[in-house]
Amino acid sequence: MTIKEIVIISGKGGTGKTTLTASLVPYLENIVIADCDVDAPDLHILLDPEIRSRENFVGLKKAVVDLSACTHCMACVDSCKFDAISDSIIINGMKCEGCGVCEYVCPSEAIAMKDTVVGTVFHADTTYGPMVHARLIPGEETSGKLVSLVRNEAKKEAEIKGLGTILIDGSPGIGCNVISSITGAEKVIIVTEPTMSGLHDLSRVFDITDRFSGKVFVVINKFNLSREMSIKIEQESKKRGSEVLLKIPFDKRMVKAITDKKIPSLAEKELFSEAGFEEFVKRIT
Amino acid sequence: MKIAVLSGKGGTGKTTVSNNLAALMTEATIIDCDVEEPNSFIFLKPTVEKEEDICVEYPVVDDLRCKHCKKCAAFCHYNAIIAGTLLTLPMKEICHDCGGCAIVCPESAIEYQTRTIGRIFSGRAVTGNKMVYGVLNPGELSGVRIINQVKKIVQNDPIVIVDSPPGTSCSTVAAVEGCDFAIIVTEPTPFGVSDMKMVVEMLRSMSIPMAVVINKAGLGDDEVYKYCHDEKLEIIGEISFDKTIAEAYAKGELAVDVSEEKRISFTQLWGAIHGIIEVTYDH
Repeated sequence: MTIKEIVIISGKGGTGKTTLTASLVPYLENIVIADCDVDAPDLHILLDPEIRSRENFVGLKKAVVDLSACTHCMACVDSCKFDAISDSIIINGMKCEGCGVCEYVCPSEAIAMKDTVVGTVFHADTTYGPMVHARLIPGEETSGKLVSLVRNEAKKEAEIKGLGTILIDGSPGIGCNVISSITGAEKVIIVTEPTMSGLHDLSRVFDITDRFSGKVFVVINKFNLSREMSIKIEQESKKRGSEVLLKIPFDKRMVKAITDKKIPSLAEKELFSEAGFEEFVKRIT
Repeated sequence: MKIAVLSGKGGTGKTTVSNNLAALMTEATIIDCDVEEPNSFIFLKPTVEKEEDICVEYPVVDDLRCKHCKKCAAFCHYNAIIAGTLLTLPMKEICHDCGGCAIVCPESAIEYQTRTIGRIFSGRAVTGNKMVYGVLNPGELSGVRIINQVKKIVQNDPIVIVDSPPGTSCSTVAAVEGCDFAIIVTEPTPFGVSDMKMVVEMLRSMSIPMAVVINKAGLGDDEVYKYCHDEKLEIIGEISFDKTIAEAYAKGELAVDVSEEKRISFTQLWGAIHGIIEVTYDH
């Protein structure tokens, strides 16, 4: 059985990735849900999953200094390219990238590389299917690795349970989190907004999707805030070989659904229906 | 004084707050550290005076010297070197540029070449502020080196406003590191609160004092106010949800240019920031 991944990303933050992902959930069948926005995970707020299990996520090892063995020769400080070791040989865990160079150059064996827990991965169940989500400890790195892990775990769930689609909520930006979430995915949906920032960021996301993923669709959220910019986004999408498949209006009822922690497409069925949501779901599946 | 503007959740108004604050204090330097999706230049329309490429090094194996002992591959914590009996091949996209492989190589067979991962632009914003911003090349995994360089350029400037990336991972840490004060821009929705909690946790572990600005006030509910109260976080400003701000934002215009009322509210925000920084650092 082939498993199909649909990933929702945005470039610019706050355009409505989670709103759209949650809204798609009840309209799709046989799905596993994955929240890959590991440093701002919010999908669980709307889907209210029941957590089945949780595991620690160990990122790259980090350097730990035994100051009693340290002779302050400064060899580690001089070789660290990440500027993570202070002159008093205190390691800044947020800057250490776990390369192991300091451990190697230390003549006194005062540095060891140790496993560090940098996040948690959750396996859970929602009314609509299994869900895998994660939380990176604030300030930690290796978020790209955690994203890959969430995707892999979601794939395992799909294989074991015979589910054909994985719906993935991605991160903003175009860096490692985003690349890890879309690489090799069959379908990517970019949610944008009709602003100069939205348009600028959209064109940078296209630069990534061109390279790393399959078919790309565009959704304009809050399209009625600027019809002029919405047209420009449609033009840009067309130019980049993609199509705007859905336009969602800005409406206070949407904000209310989120505030009430409800899935917007269920709480505001009429609004979604008027926007052509059913048709949109058919086009992306 | 370096003031970071950050949010956790994207789209809450980091750029709006940092740019409008800058517009009202032309002595301040504004830097855009959201190098994945930089937007401040759209509003501040800088005249660029200087551009520089940001490069990283990556290892290249000298085949004449390499004895394929595989020590480099065994050392590399990122699994970025493929080593076979006849071929040793570093993969530059995975390499973190730590320099370890060259240190462990007994044959001195590893040399470094440079490649560009992005660009930094320095100049003057249309408002008169000094402005520096970085742009990461699409396809690159991390903008941390660019952010660090942007901050180095402005390290001696008296007042710096740092427009930071969303989230709480390495790019945000790099942007916020060394700042004297942080302004968290949030919105009164469950998402805004949830993501803000992660920012508060990060800032506390970095020992950076903080205060909160609530954007789009009037939308959503009062959960964020309760959270700030419980955590003793001072709310130093509220920007009410207003279509005229949203429309100006869509067109790439500053809120302070929309109306006198907006100008006054951002002036008041500066007053509040000044007040809380004074309290934080004088006692």
